[in-house]
Amino acid sequence: MAIEVELPSLGESVFEGTVSRWLVSEGEWIEVDQPLVEVTTDKVDAEIPAPHAGVVEAILAAEGDVIEVGAVLARVDPDGKPTAAPAATEPAAVPPPVAPFSSPAVPPPVEPSVPPSATPPVESSAPPAATPVARRVAEEASIDLRDVEGTGSAGRVTKDDVLRHQSAPTAPAAPPQAGSPSVPPARRAPAANAFGYELQEGDRVLPMSPMRKIISDHMVYSKRTSPHVGTVAEVDLSAVVKLRNQHKRTFQESYGKPLTFLPFIVNAAVRALREFPALNASVVEDAIIEKQDIHVGVATETEKGLVVPVVRHADRLSLAGTAMAIDDLATRARNRKLSADDLKGGTFTVSNPGRQGNLYGFAIINQPQVGILRMGEIAKRAVVRTLDGEDAIVIRTMMFLALSYDHRAVDGAPANGFLYRIRELLESADFDL
Amino acid sequence: MASNAIEIEWQGTLRYGEGLALQERAVSDRIAGTTVDRVLLLEHTPVVTLGRSTDPGNLRLPADEMRRKGIEVFEVGRGGDVTYHAPGQLVGYPILDLDVQGRRDVHVHLRRIESALMEAVESFGIPCRRVSGRTGVFVDRDRSAVPDGPDRKIASIGVGVRKWVTFHGFALNVSIDLAGFDAIVPCGLQDVEMTSVSRELEREGREGRKAGAVDASVRTAVGEALVRWLGPEAPVAD
Repeated sequence: MAIEVELPSLGESVFEGTVSRWLVSEGEWIEVDQPLVEVTTDKVDAEIPAPHAGVVEAILAAEGDVIEVGAVLARVDPDGKPTAAPAATEPAAVPPPVAPFSSPAVPPPVEPSVPPSATPPVESSAPPAATPVARRVAEEASIDLRDVEGTGSAGRVTKDDVLRHQSAPTAPAAPPQAGSPSVPPARRAPAANAFGYELQEGDRVLPMSPMRKIISDHMVYSKRTSPHVGTVAEVDLSAVVKLRNQHKRTFQESYGKPLTFLPFIVNAAVRALREFPALNASVVEDAIIEKQDIHVGVATETEKGLVVPVVRHADRLSLAGTAMAIDDLATRARNRKLSADDLKGGTFTVSNPGRQGNLYGFAIINQPQVGILRMGEIAKRAVVRTLDGEDAIVIRTMMFLALSYDHRAVDGAPANGFLYRIRELLESADFDL
Repeated sequence: MASNAIEIEWQGTLRYGEGLALQERAVSDRIAGTTVDRVLLLEHTPVVTLGRSTDPGNLRLPADEMRRKGIEVFEVGRGGDVTYHAPGQLVGYPILDLDVQGRRDVHVHLRRIESALMEAVESFGIPCRRVSGRTGVFVDRDRSAVPDGPDRKIASIGVGVRKWVTFHGFALNVSIDLAGFDAIVPCGLQDVEMTSVSRELEREGREGRKAGAVDASVRTAVGEALVRWLGPEAPVAD
């Protein structure tokens, strides 16, 4: 199983980098921590080390490509067989100077680079040749590699061989199951500090995935950067419900997709953004940048975590076009087919976190934007309306719509005006369908 | 705690290749945890370094001509730009482990180096500023004579990171002969003019720093600013 090498976080303020140089080539065997690629951001050249030993199965970003943090740079197969020699070890640091020059040569990085095909040094009771992953798996399961029949090249023991041996009836102690709460012994507990936590027996340690880490860093960065203010409007969706019911079937027939509430909200928000450009902005140093284009991010939960694909030029789309664009992005997000471009350049975000346990809530601003709209649950409620000059209690389909905005850039009046305008558009069901 | 310290070490005048070798060792040591955070301060003998992406058109002098003038030409395997180093320029290589709470941000590292250099240069009475979108330190005055004249750069910054340990760093022009920059177009930016502490003081009719080498008072001022901005108690860079 190949391991994906992602562009790791280089800091809260760093969202992307440019691939400046590959230091390895496809088919080459690499050791853990060996520098794979150099990535440049601003005036920083970062070397990205291999997270694992193995064969470089595929290089997925070309030199010159701009890639986002978390994007996949390469796939490494720990069980692969090298098909290429190490790239004629171009001195990692420096080619010889042009001028006559007698300084000591720069020592090449000291990497234990045992060619994988070489027989390991013979020890007294030499264990058989095995892939690094096989060794690790065997070690974790307390399996003696000498008991395992190797089926790899030249009889090398592969991970599959170990697993097969493990599941055989004669296998010793039951192996730890995936997901079992044991703490890997090799994993260092986080350094204790004032807010540290001392591990207790039975605790599960779940290292953050790179994606989780990015989300975590981004949330902290946003909360620290932008003074968030929240404001809520209660929106009567009854007219939208009526309109939707009228068109639901024909929409499904024409487009092959269901018509949800989300595109109505996005469309209304986009039109309100045109009237309130202060919400379609970024803070850059001491300036507020009001943006010409409106690209709306739609926060989407996936198995891997939260992603915010972007409906580009959302103001140029009809309601149906908005619905189709959202559906396309959501589908690709679930299938993990989003490209870096799909996630870039949002100028405002709409979040729809579902119906249960969500009367309303305030989202964290998606930096470097200055506003985010969050849909509450949609439910029928008793509200007071004036019918024929008489106050009456009636049943309406209601939703709380919450806006978080960045008080550095936006004050209460425009923020409330913006939210109220969205409410007006939704309550009048002013949409072309 | 020792691991919280930062040490400023004066290394004297080194050839560029010696500087690279020194950094290689320092980075390995820092990764291994056998040393604390350090800043290596030094000067280089005359050298032009070329990035891989350097456009040969950015060089104003052919390589032969440079060699004749005693300027080494060094091709570094990194992306980026052409630079010029020579005596009279204070070069600093901060070898810091950024892999600690609150420091894991390479851009913040750049900003902190800028802040330190700005503070040091301003202590000589030369106001400085940043230029948005350009890493480095620029002097902030004398734009009245040429309102739309080029930005005047007094320090260049470029950093490498390996396993969160930083290397390379900055080059602050103190008393360097600025004519040497004529051999190159700094950083491929045609609209940047290089300046130095001496040149800025002389503009004001004050005495410049002695040509030829960076004097100790400058080293001290820069070292102290670096401790403030890169050390464990560093303020948040703006």
